[in-house]
Amino acid sequence: MPLLPFYLPDSGKFVVTSSILFSKKAENVKQNPKVSLLFSNPEGSKAGKHAVLVQGIAHADDSDLDHGWEKYLGYWRKKEPYIDAYLAEREKFGWFWKRIVVQVEPKKILAWKNGDTSRQPEVFGA
Amino acid sequence: MSKIDYHRLGNFRYAIITLVGDDGFPFSVSTDFKIMPDQKIVLQKPAQPSKLDGKRVNVLFNHITGLPEGGYGDRRYMLVWGTTHEDNGTLRFEPETMSEWDEKILPFDQYCAMSAPQGAKYLGRLQASVEA
Repeated sequence: MPLLPFYLPDSGKFVVTSSILFSKKAENVKQNPKVSLLFSNPEGSKAGKHAVLVQGIAHADDSDLDHGWEKYLGYWRKKEPYIDAYLAEREKFGWFWKRIVVQVEPKKILAWKNGDTSRQPEVFGA
Repeated sequence: MSKIDYHRLGNFRYAIITLVGDDGFPFSVSTDFKIMPDQKIVLQKPAQPSKLDGKRVNVLFNHITGLPEGGYGDRRYMLVWGTTHEDNGTLRFEPETMSEWDEKILPFDQYCAMSAPQGAKYLGRLQASVEA
């Protein structure tokens, strides 16, 4: 599914937050923590044409649906400045703002230069 | 399954194939695709995974447009589950089920409202786990 991931340089982990409205992936993570994140759309990844697949172990934290995600709002605002307009209507979008925090610890990274997946990827951390 | 609108599908630039690898991790790879005149979906075969004949996969077609002031517009995706069959260096994709969202067809606030049952289900399960 298309997602908005954030990279945490201090821990080397990725974070996505998910509304309970679209929580099927969080439910899946609870059943099986093995996940992958593919960065392949230059519009979103800002990585040129390159494609990068991150495989890792995910942990879903829903202990504070109302506020646990707020620490990542700065990252979110940089990618989607208009999120503040939705935040201003927090009551209207009440369940959208009940959010699960999913942290992903990378275990293996595969990279395709120029997004050429007809070639073998470079593999890191195997 | 929901019917695939092949005209709209043709507006996507590329596809992402995902399947579960032998190590248990999902493996996703982007590739080109084309829709044949008989509405068959043909995917360019990536170098990896090497074996995709008869595999159950999901194929994501997605699109965003970067906005000058930041963020994204024209958000849409189609997520199609099905089976791939190797065919002369390409992959013939047989769709089985699909889900999709296009913000120009279903505005985001309506998408949220429509998704309330999933939210209620999640909260219900969370409540049960807290009480257990």
